[in-house]
Amino acid sequence: MSHTFNIYRHLISVNIRGQMQYRVSFLFDVLATALITALSFGSIALILQRFNNIAGWTVYELAFLFGMAETAFGTMDIIFSGFDPPYFGRRVRLGTFDQMLLRPVNLVVQVLGSQFILRRFGRIIQGSIILLISLTHLEIQWTAVKILMLPVVFISLVIFFGGLFIIGATLSFWTVESLEVVNIFTYGGTELMQYPMEIYPNLIRTFFTYILPAIFLLYYPTLYILDKPDPLGMPPFSPFLAPFVAVAVFIVAFAFWNYGLRFYQSTGS
Amino acid sequence: MQDIISVKELNKHFKIYKHHRGIMGPLRNLATRESTLVKAVDGINFVIQPGELVGYLGPNGAGKSTTLKMLTGLLVPTSGEIRVNNHIPWKSRTEYVAEIGAVFGQRSTLWWDLPVIESLDLLQHIYKIPEDRFQQNLGEFRELLELDPFLNTPVRALSLGQRMRADICAALLHDPKLLFLDEPTIGLDVVAKERIRRFIEHINQARGITVLLTTHDLSDVEKLCKRVMIIDHGKLLYDGKLDLLRERFGEKRQLIVDFVEEYEIISIEGAVIADREGSRITFHFSGQDITASELINKLSAQYRIRDLEVREPDIETTIRRIYEERLLE
Amino acid sequence: MRLFWELSKLAFQRQLTYRAATLAGLATNFFFGMLRASVLIALYHGQSEIAGMTITDAITFTGLTQAAIAFLSLFSWYEVMDSVYTGAVSSDMLKPMNYFNFWLAQDSGRAFASFLLRGLSIMIAYALLFDITVPQSADQWLAFILVLLLSWLVSFSWRFLVNLAAFWTPNALGIARLAFILSWFLSGFFMPLRFFPVWFVRLCYLTPFPYTINAVVEVYLGLVDGQALAAIILAQIAWILLLVLAGMIALRAGVRRLEILGG
Repeated sequence: MSHTFNIYRHLISVNIRGQMQYRVSFLFDVLATALITALSFGSIALILQRFNNIAGWTVYELAFLFGMAETAFGTMDIIFSGFDPPYFGRRVRLGTFDQMLLRPVNLVVQVLGSQFILRRFGRIIQGSIILLISLTHLEIQWTAVKILMLPVVFISLVIFFGGLFIIGATLSFWTVESLEVVNIFTYGGTELMQYPMEIYPNLIRTFFTYILPAIFLLYYPTLYILDKPDPLGMPPFSPFLAPFVAVAVFIVAFAFWNYGLRFYQSTGS
Repeated sequence: MQDIISVKELNKHFKIYKHHRGIMGPLRNLATRESTLVKAVDGINFVIQPGELVGYLGPNGAGKSTTLKMLTGLLVPTSGEIRVNNHIPWKSRTEYVAEIGAVFGQRSTLWWDLPVIESLDLLQHIYKIPEDRFQQNLGEFRELLELDPFLNTPVRALSLGQRMRADICAALLHDPKLLFLDEPTIGLDVVAKERIRRFIEHINQARGITVLLTTHDLSDVEKLCKRVMIIDHGKLLYDGKLDLLRERFGEKRQLIVDFVEEYEIISIEGAVIADREGSRITFHFSGQDITASELINKLSAQYRIRDLEVREPDIETTIRRIYEERLLE
Repeated sequence: MRLFWELSKLAFQRQLTYRAATLAGLATNFFFGMLRASVLIALYHGQSEIAGMTITDAITFTGLTQAAIAFLSLFSWYEVMDSVYTGAVSSDMLKPMNYFNFWLAQDSGRAFASFLLRGLSIMIAYALLFDITVPQSADQWLAFILVLLLSWLVSFSWRFLVNLAAFWTPNALGIARLAFILSWFLSGFFMPLRFFPVWFVRLCYLTPFPYTINAVVEVYLGLVDGQALAAIILAQIAWILLLVLAGMIALRAGVRRLEILGG
C-alpha cells in the first residue's frame, strides 16, 4: 500500500515537473480557468440585479451551490485528470495505454499518476472565494450536522465526479469519436448542480434523480443547510444521501472500468 | 525441462464494424452494426523452453504483434490458453509483468520529458529493484549499450537508435525471466542494428533470459535465432530450426567453379548446370541429393579446378517464397 | 479564387467525415441548451416580456447561441498556432495565396459544414420541441443572413489575430485560451446583453465580441431594425477591417521574426 502510494507520488512529481517547463503558459492557464469561474458567477450576479432571484433563490444562496460545485469539480478535475475522457481517449487511440499495462502497478494508480493538471487550480481558488462570500453573507443557523455536512458534501462531490470521469474514460475502450457525449454528465452535471433543481423540466430532473442521482449530492444537502423547504416533496432523509450516492457511483464506475479493460484493443503496431 | 511459454489453440478475433457513408451514416451505424470478423490470430499452438531465443516472423498484419500483445497481457484472447512462467498473462497482470520485459519498437515506455536516467530511477521504484541489483545491472547495461552519452538527455530528444537502447535497458533492469521484443531493430542503421543484436545475444547467453522477438529484418533472425516461427493470416505456418527451413524451402544451393580450362562438362549426378560463362560454371544442387563435399570431390577427380565457391540460398528469398507461394499451407 | 474554393471544399468535406463526433457534439450542445433555457424560464418567472424579449425570444436565444458554438468555433480554434509550432507554416507560406486567405478559405468550409450539421440541426430540434421565434419578413431574413456572415468574418479575423501570438512565444496556448474566454463572456453568449446593467453593455460594445453573437441574436429576433440595424452592420464591417489590418501587420512582423530566428 505504501509502495503504491510512493509510486503515485513519484509519478505525480514527474508530471508536475513536465508542466513547469512551460511556466508562462501555465500562469496564463491558471488565470484563464480562474476567469471562467469568476465570469460565470459574475454574469449571474449581474443578471440578478435585474431579476432579484431565480426560483426564490437569492444570489448568495446560488453562490453556495455554485461555489461548492465549482470547488469540488475543480478538485476532482486535478486529481482525476488522468481519467479526463478526451485525454484518456487520446491515450487509448495512440496505444500509449500499453505502457501502463506493462508495469506491475495498479492501473488506476497509474492513470491517476499520469496526469495532474495543476492549472485547473484556478477553478478551486475562484470557487472557494465564491463559497466563502456566500457563507459570510448568508445567515445560516449552524448546527453540528450542518457543519459536518460541508466536508462530507464536498468529498462526495469529488468522488461522484471522479466516478463519472472513470465511466467516460472507460467508454473510450469502445469509441473515441463519440466521447464528447460524456460532457453532458461531467460538465453538464456541474452546470446543472449550480442552479436549484426545481427549475429543470421533469425529464431532466427524473434522470438526475433516479438514473444518475446527482440531485442528492448538492441540491438536497443545500436545502437542509439553508433551511429551505423542499418543493419537490422527496423523503426527509434525502439531504443525507450524498455520501452513499457518491460511493455507489464510484463502485459502479470501478466495476465498469474493470469490465471495459477486457475490450481494450491495443491499436497501432 | 518445463516449458516457459505454452500456447494452446490461441485465437484473437476482432469485429470490424461497417461504416456507412453519407450524412445519415452515423445513425445507420448505430441502428445496424454490421460487422465482419477478422481472425488476427487463428488457432496457434507452440511451446518455448527456458533459455531459447526464438524469432517470430510474418508479413505485415500477419498476427505477430497481436500474439505478442496477448503474451504480454495487453490483449485478452478470444479463446485458447496461454501460460507464461506459470501465469495467465491477462489474469494476474501485476504479478506477471514484474517477471517479464517487453519493448514494442515504435513506442517508448519511458517518460517523454524526463532524462533517461530519471526514467530508469523511476523504474527502480516501480519494480522495487534492490539498490545493489539496480546499480549492478545499470552499470553493465550502460557499458554494453553505450548509454552514457545520452543518459541525461530527455527521451523526446533521443534518436531512434538511442531510444531503443534506452528502452531495452529499461526492460531488463528488474531481471526479467523473459524478454519480448517487437521489431527491435526497425528503422535503425546497420551499426545500431548490430549493436542491439550483440546485446540481445549476450543477455540470452550470459543470463539465460528467454527471448521472443518479432522482426521484419531477416538478418536479425539469421544472426540471432536458431529457431523460427512463421505466421501468416493468423496461422502458424512453420515452427522449427532455421537451417531446416532453408533446406526444405530454400532455392537450390549453388556451387560456382572456376576451371583452369573450358570443359564440355558431362553431367554430374545430383547437380545441374545453371549457368556457364567461359570457364566459370554454376551448378545447382540440393542438399538432400548430394553434399557439397561429395560434389567437389567428384568434380576435382575429373577436372582441374582453379577456384570454387558454395552459395547458400538466401533466407530472405526463401521466406519471401514461402509467403508468396504459400508453400506451407 | 479557384484555390480558395478548393481549400474551402476540402475543409467542408473533412468536417463531414467526423460523423459520430458530430452527433455527440449535437447531443451535448442540445443538452446545454436545455439547461440554459430552464434557467431563463425560471428567471422570467411567468413574466411575458423582459427588456423587449418575450419568453419565446429567450428560449430561441439559447438555441441560437448553442447553434453558433461550432459555427464560430467559439470555445477553441488553435489551427494557425499549431501550424506555427509544427513548422507547417513555412510550407503554407509558399502557397500562391495570401496566408490570411489560406486560412480564411479553410475556415469558411469548416464554418459552413458546422452551420449545416450543428447549427441548423439544433435550430430544427428547437423548433420541434419548443415554440421559437422566426424572422417575420424577407427583409429580416436577409438582414439576418448578412449579419451572420459578417459575424463569422469578425470571429475569424479575431481568432486569426490571437493565433499569431504563436510567432512570439511558445506559450501562446495559454494566451489564446484567455482570449477565448474573454470573447465568450463579452459576446452575449451567456445571457442576452440587454439583461445586463447598462455600464456592462457599454463595456462589451467597446470590443468586437458583441458583433459575433449578440448582434446575430438581436437581428434574428427582430429586436433591432432601421438605423440601429445599419449601425450594427457598419460596426461589423469596421471591426472586420480593423482586425484584418491588425492581423496583417502582426503577420508581417511575425514572419520577419520567424525568418530572423531561422525557423
